[in-house]
Amino acid sequence: MKKSVTILVLVLGLAIIASLHLGLNVYAPAAVLSALGGADGTDAIIITSLRIPRTLVAICAGAALGLSGFLVQASTRNPLAEPGLLGINAGAAFSVVLGITLSGSLGLAAIGGLALAGGLVTTALVFGIVTAAGRTAGPGTTLLAGVTLAAMLASLTQVLLLVDETALETMLFWLSGGFADRSFEVLALGLPSLVIGLVGALAIAGSLDVLRLDDDSAGALGVRVTGIRMGALALGALLAAGAVAMAGPVVFLGLVAPHLARRLAPRATSAGQIVVTVLTGASIAVLADIVARLIVLPGEAPIGAVLALVGVPILVSLLRRKAEAVL
Amino acid sequence: MNRIAVPTRLAAMAACLVAVTVVATGVGSSALPLDRVVAALIGRGETMDEVIVWTLRLPRVALAILAGMALALAGALLQRVTRNPVAAPSILGITDGAAVGVVAFLWIFSDDANALTVSIHWQPLAAALGALVFSALVAVLALLDPQGRSPLRIILYGISLAALAKAAVTLMMILGPVYRAGQALTWLTGSIGAAHWSDVATVAAGLVLATVVLALLGRLVRQLVLDPDTAASTGVAVGRTQLVFLALAVALTALAVSQVGAVGFVGLIAPHIARFLHGQFTEGFLAATAMIGGALVLGADTLARTMAAPVELPAGALTALVGAPLFLWLLLKERRTHG
Repeated sequence: MKKSVTILVLVLGLAIIASLHLGLNVYAPAAVLSALGGADGTDAIIITSLRIPRTLVAICAGAALGLSGFLVQASTRNPLAEPGLLGINAGAAFSVVLGITLSGSLGLAAIGGLALAGGLVTTALVFGIVTAAGRTAGPGTTLLAGVTLAAMLASLTQVLLLVDETALETMLFWLSGGFADRSFEVLALGLPSLVIGLVGALAIAGSLDVLRLDDDSAGALGVRVTGIRMGALALGALLAAGAVAMAGPVVFLGLVAPHLARRLAPRATSAGQIVVTVLTGASIAVLADIVARLIVLPGEAPIGAVLALVGVPILVSLLRRKAEAVL
Repeated sequence: MNRIAVPTRLAAMAACLVAVTVVATGVGSSALPLDRVVAALIGRGETMDEVIVWTLRLPRVALAILAGMALALAGALLQRVTRNPVAAPSILGITDGAAVGVVAFLWIFSDDANALTVSIHWQPLAAALGALVFSALVAVLALLDPQGRSPLRIILYGISLAALAKAAVTLMMILGPVYRAGQALTWLTGSIGAAHWSDVATVAAGLVLATVVLALLGRLVRQLVLDPDTAASTGVAVGRTQLVFLALAVALTALAVSQVGAVGFVGLIAPHIARFLHGQFTEGFLAATAMIGGALVLGADTLARTMAAPVELPAGALTALVGAPLFLWLLLKERRTHG
């Protein structure tokens, strides 16, 4: 556990350093250092106003999505669960597409705000449906209600896009998510939910440990099972909504980061897994972002596609190893 | 609902499906009233009506129903095998594999003027090829897995390869010509479009084969509801049964997707609607699931060709619009009957 945290911190640190140096223009360490020291010039502007924000957004969105995935998987005890299943991405995408269709064009900060609002409203709807469905409803129902609402919103989004072809091109890129050209304002949109989510998750980590048992045993140990599960889901939703506000609907990371973290630290407590998952999510996001700017020069590849290209081989190779043999 | 006898319930569902079929056959750019549809269906209509019904509308209606049935059955089997309520055909990597096949096909065989250099009729073959390659990859990874072949691991390999396939599709769409991207998007959403009786026959043949297999193994489907240990103690070879059903789900999905594209949501939601309307431990659960899946895709496709006529929307964009409200209503209604 300690060893994997150390390694992950090292990987993340190296990834951050690489992220500042690499891109369409590759800089020497001296140029990066002088830019960080407050130097002027085109290179310094590129580093401070483009590379630093996108690196920070990648770290925050990656950490938020990884943690969100962990919480959703833990509270539903479903290894296939991921934040997208709660309808957050679909709700965010729908409100953004609706906004663009109604107003013509929007800046990234406005899009981020719309996405945050759309994601949160959708989650509220999902929880409303589950509450209205009453006592027969468990976490399974939450996932199903989320998936159903997500599918409905996705289909409305698609209809809007088919009707309004000019929005299609702008949206096609936003819909695949990304960290490029994000400003500090966008970061400010997502950061509060990351902080709340992280603090909240660590606060309920002890109960999440007990939740790994079945419901009856957990209840017998004094854990308010339903309350903790719904709390964890709400935190997961908040984290994912913050991430979608920053980076658009980034898929796959929320699913993969917790699985990777579980492989990296198989015997960690929930608190330990939270730390490992956050570090894993952030590292993957920064690494994927670097790859995204390098593989289709002079353009950029969508981050969702790169995440899959980077994440899938790692996941498959880890799946094929025995849990004990990892690190 | 559960007080009605099983055969009556299934017959009622079948009657609903037939009614939807007749209505769907009637509506369209030249709408036919019900009596003329029925007359044409039983061969006593006017020549023009019979042409519209038998060569234009009915093949499309039949293909929608059969594809919906195949996807719904695949979903029900997957949910049973993995004992996971959110399992659906799209998580096996088949749908996305088929998408890779189609997008690659559109890309490779386009000339500079965006025209296809080969016939569009090869597209289903490209889809089937893509589906085959990706399901073969999942199978190889699962078979070579050093830790045994549990369904969860197969699904994780499936999800991984599906993500890889999605990435490939996105990259090809961004690097390829924009016009093709739009066309590929329509296919990726799933659309029935012009259907021929030969397409219908292909899917029907596959469904008949699947039905035979399911009829032979029907008891096992129900036993898989139990947890693995209990199921094993009732005499099921759990591992092998799971693999057989998984393979069947793959085949059914590939069959449907190669004909109608990546129509989503049906495989996920049809079994749950059947669970509410019929009961998942009741005899005839799979039949109910299939009929509901058929009705969902037919409803979506009918909406797709009439809603914004003369523009046709892809049916896959509307399956959720048809199915989601129904499912949410059932979810909320369940409380009033049980709580």
